[in-house]
Amino acid sequence: MSEKALILKNVSKTFYINDKKVDTFKERLFNSMSNRNSRSFKAVENISLEIERGENFGVIGRNGSGKSTLVKLMSGAFVPDMGGEIQKNGTSMLLNLGVGMSHELTARQNVYVSGSALGLKIKEIEQLFDKIIEFAELEDFVDSKVKYFSSGMIQRLSFAIATNAGADIMFLDEVFAVGDAKFKKKAIDVMEKSWIDGRTIIMVSHSLTNISKYCKRAVYLKKGKVAYLGDAKEAIKLYNEDNAN
Amino acid sequence: MSNLLPNFFTSWFYESNRAERIWMMAKIEFKLRYYENKLGLMWALIKPVSQILMYYVVFQVLMNQQVENYVIYLFAGLLLWMFFTECTSGTVKILQTKKYLYEYTNMHKLEIYIASILSSVIGLVFNLMIFLIGAWVSGIYPSFHYVFFIFIFINLFVLSFGVSLILSNLFLLFKDIMQIWNIVVGFGFFLSPILYRGDLFSEKLRFLDYLNPISGIINNARNVLMFQANPDWQMLLFDIGYASLILIIGLMLLKRISPRASELL
Repeated sequence: MSEKALILKNVSKTFYINDKKVDTFKERLFNSMSNRNSRSFKAVENISLEIERGENFGVIGRNGSGKSTLVKLMSGAFVPDMGGEIQKNGTSMLLNLGVGMSHELTARQNVYVSGSALGLKIKEIEQLFDKIIEFAELEDFVDSKVKYFSSGMIQRLSFAIATNAGADIMFLDEVFAVGDAKFKKKAIDVMEKSWIDGRTIIMVSHSLTNISKYCKRAVYLKKGKVAYLGDAKEAIKLYNEDNAN
Repeated sequence: MSNLLPNFFTSWFYESNRAERIWMMAKIEFKLRYYENKLGLMWALIKPVSQILMYYVVFQVLMNQQVENYVIYLFAGLLLWMFFTECTSGTVKILQTKKYLYEYTNMHKLEIYIASILSSVIGLVFNLMIFLIGAWVSGIYPSFHYVFFIFIFINLFVLSFGVSLILSNLFLLFKDIMQIWNIVVGFGFFLSPILYRGDLFSEKLRFLDYLNPISGIINNARNVLMFQANPDWQMLLFDIGYASLILIIGLMLLKRISPRASELL
């Protein structure tokens, strides 16, 4: 049975950049007539693709090629331009360097809030709690506010929540960039295991070895457009060829 | 986001852990607001009490307003007014401060609002208990009219929720909405019968009773909590209609503007 986890049809995303920032009431009142400063910029253009449930899908491309925008579109943080359509089946979680956590809350509170947002009941979170903290190696900081954490600690915590609480679809935007070698290894171990659970993973990475190791299919983005969609090895080959010149 | 309203509301709370999540977030936010410091919950009380003291001196002692049980009278008005301002001014930036909740997972934005307003409700309930004790001490005994307070509370909740939705969504487009709202709140405080007698106010400025949705709510709350009288049903009905309209506008703005919150902030 091949159910689709994600379907994208003609998805584009245009950003309007104002050289002069107009975002207060006063400015809108006085500047509404002169909108000459506005430039549009297509971050992602006309992308159609389907991702199967349980598939590991890679997204590669150079800086500014639209990778993160595409992932944010898929996860629902951004709305596509008119005419584009995105269908997502199941809960999802976006993991990136920004990290979805409140800095005002403690590690404990964040585990509960994020866990619940991912669909767990409070009772289930209570059972998982020690496991999550242990995995994140934060036993001594359970009731400290996240704002006092280092970026590595925050990253570990959100990764621990994500893998233990588990959304149906996980978007991993350069998550391997942070964390020491030991944690990286642990994270990869868990990811390899969790793939068996039929979780869908969309991975954005500059680490081509990771993409080729874990993903069967990939999309290669070039200036917001699909340069190649299909076999991951082929995508990486094309990407390397382009960059060689 | 193509949910039609009816199936939207039925499916909403049935999602198994939604209700418990909202309650959990409300409790966390309440704790964050009051337990951050050593005085803890006392802050929830110190705020109205210090204001009551100040207004008492100015309006009862200096200006000699003839209001019976003026402290209780003030308390009733301030209680509801502070709830309203906390729910509205406090949530103008909610889509910015709680961005992490809806951007990284699929949490519905309405949950975030409801949790935040519920946390203010916890404070209101706490203050209300102090108020009722205070009223009792002053010789105002409970009566069955207390039951009607439910309607007034619902009225206030719907109104605060609606205004909060409108403001926080406009914030995405106008970053200075907070300053504008502060001015409105400043006027609103003196255009509501908080400090002075509601009946005099209504006599002289009848149109304000209809323009300012808080004014009817405060008058009616005093009717049922202090004067052992029925609420002014006509006013109550009008205010509930008013609040519902504001809530509908707020929900429409939420649907229209907030999907683009991540990119606008």
